[in-house]
Amino acid sequence: MNTNQKIAKVHLTSRFRQLLVAILSVSFGISMYIAMNSFMAGVNNIQTEITFTSMSHIKIYNDLSSTITQISPKPKDSNTILMVNNARNIQYTQGIKNADAIKNELLNMSEINGVALQLNEKVFIRNGVSNTSASLTGIETVNENKLFETAKYIIEGDLSELDKRSDGIILGVGLAQTIGVKTGNTISVTTSEGVSKTFKIIGLLESGSKVRDKTSALITIQTARQLFSKNKSYATDILVNTYDYNNARTVAEKVRKLTDYKVESWQEGNEQLVSSSLLRDILAIAVSLTILIVAGFGIYNIMNMTVNEKIKEIAILKAMGFNGKDVIEIFLTQSVAIGLIGGFVGLFLGNVIVQMLDIVPFKIASYNTLPVVYNIKDYILAFSFGTIITLIAGYLPSRKASKVDPVEILRG
Amino acid sequence: MNAISIQNINKHFYDPVEFQVLKDISFDVKKGEFVSIIGKSGSGKSTLLYLLSTMDTKYKGNIAINGTQVTGLSQNELAKFRNEQIGFVFQFHFLLPEFTVLDNVMLPALKLNKKSKDEIEAEAIESLYLLGLKGQELKKASKISGGQQQRVAIARALINSPSIIMGDEPTGNLDSKNTNIVFDVFKELAKERGQTIIAVTHDDEFADNCDRIIELSDGKVISQ
Ligand SMILES: Nc1ncnc2c1ncn2[C@@H]1O[C@H](COP(=O)(O)OP(=O)(O)O)[C@@H](O)[C@H]1O
Ligand SMILES: [Mg+2]
Repeated sequence: MNTNQKIAKVHLTSRFRQLLVAILSVSFGISMYIAMNSFMAGVNNIQTEITFTSMSHIKIYNDLSSTITQISPKPKDSNTILMVNNARNIQYTQGIKNADAIKNELLNMSEINGVALQLNEKVFIRNGVSNTSASLTGIETVNENKLFETAKYIIEGDLSELDKRSDGIILGVGLAQTIGVKTGNTISVTTSEGVSKTFKIIGLLESGSKVRDKTSALITIQTARQLFSKNKSYATDILVNTYDYNNARTVAEKVRKLTDYKVESWQEGNEQLVSSSLLRDILAIAVSLTILIVAGFGIYNIMNMTVNEKIKEIAILKAMGFNGKDVIEIFLTQSVAIGLIGGFVGLFLGNVIVQMLDIVPFKIASYNTLPVVYNIKDYILAFSFGTIITLIAGYLPSRKASKVDPVEILRG
Repeated sequence: MNAISIQNINKHFYDPVEFQVLKDISFDVKKGEFVSIIGKSGSGKSTLLYLLSTMDTKYKGNIAINGTQVTGLSQNELAKFRNEQIGFVFQFHFLLPEFTVLDNVMLPALKLNKKSKDEIEAEAIESLYLLGLKGQELKKASKISGGQQQRVAIARALINSPSIIMGDEPTGNLDSKNTNIVFDVFKELAKERGQTIIAVTHDDEFADNCDRIIELSDGKVISQ
């Protein structure tokens, strides 16, 4: 330790209470930063978990092209006028015919974690007199479960039962209620083309989403293909999950090279989710930075008081030959010490707070306690912000101290 | 070579009204001289001493100390110069209250950083003994009497063996016994170590025993 640091140490240790307050204010700022960001990350995770119970990271489907290409050639000379009235986009194919081939290609991509085919159609469900429309989904049970953990949300019966009997159907709980049926009952499903088939209810689905539970019915994709008289490889949607949902956009870009069908990453269809998670992040950072800055003001205040209190001593040091840089070092050392000690205490305290949040009972999605994420990045950022702010907060009073004119102070 | 040589020093204060406090002062002080500056209150003694100490740089004229022209040096150069060459004793003792007596004395030498800590400590203890402060070394500076504090301040001024020691009424708060101790120490430093002493004083007896008296009146030297 050099002489300046020794002086700083004496200054610090001789005012223990002020030191404690300063350290605590830094610790508080840093621990709050950690707690806020860990919690917000937890909330964001839950949000995505909920989002991805029914939505895949990337969806491929047959879409009407939005641009209308003009088929007739443009007239060559300006004397001819071409008039096309009522140009219209007519979809002449529906769904994806060669879904299996695309699926195999997708599974070869290293970024892709799983692929599930679906056949989605609107149908009528009839139980004697009551009659309601529903969204019928033909699924590949194993792949569907891999992507969405569907089995977890089957509250009666079993997802794998679907594969065992071709007349099995699983209804959303709300839908079953609407038409007044229970597991074991039979219902008839009628397609828009008027084809009817009888199904036996082998299970109920409660996904947590009211809309979905009120409208959806699940059968196997094979049964669905028969019902709608489609070929063996037909699907309306190819659902793709990547290893990291944040990469969905770039993976979608790659997938576009494989197929002409519409490829949509989850971000494109759900701007509101992306922006609300971004907003939560901004909010967390804004609030925690504010807390840190307030802590910074605390340090500034304390260091300023210290400088005012010690103005005579500063003058003496200068009279004895300490220069401006020495004085800055003396006072900056004090705030750096406060920043570092407060920083480490804050990291510890922050971790304790996060662990406490982690055991607060709170039921949401698959969690039973408040959601938190332990992310080393939060700790590093909190510590760096905290020490940078103390450094700035300490520098201003130190500079003021270094400018003290000893003659002004010492003149009798 | 003169310890101090000043030429045509003029100084004004501008606040609250313009006021010339020092008027065309010139004098030399020889090495090893023990000089006192006397004069009525308000005659400009302290102001002059602060100029000589290099702390106050707002003046016209020229100051050279030990052959170095200090007028025009930067604040950092002056701080270094003070640390090496000048020991200063203030009218009010002005110790660092949170430090021990020994630390107070050692600080200027630790800053100078030319000797080992052990050497500095040994020298500090020696000058504390010289000033009759045996046994006080490890007390906090705020926990000793005013007279003792003043002597600690003198020990501190001596620690770097400065070629010049300046005091603004260094015995102003001391009783006659302590005044005599301080006077004897100054006298000995001047005679035996060749250190130059300049002390502002109100004490006629103290002044009479010096090598030389410079008297100020209304910012002018009236006798030297
Ligand atoms: N900072 C200042 N601003 C304006 N006038 C000052 C200031 N310091 C001292 N003076 C004036 O300068 C004169 C000389 O002051 P000083 O050198 O302290 O006198 P002394 O030490 O001889 O009693 C006094 O009239 C005093 O009022
Ligand atoms: Mg005076």
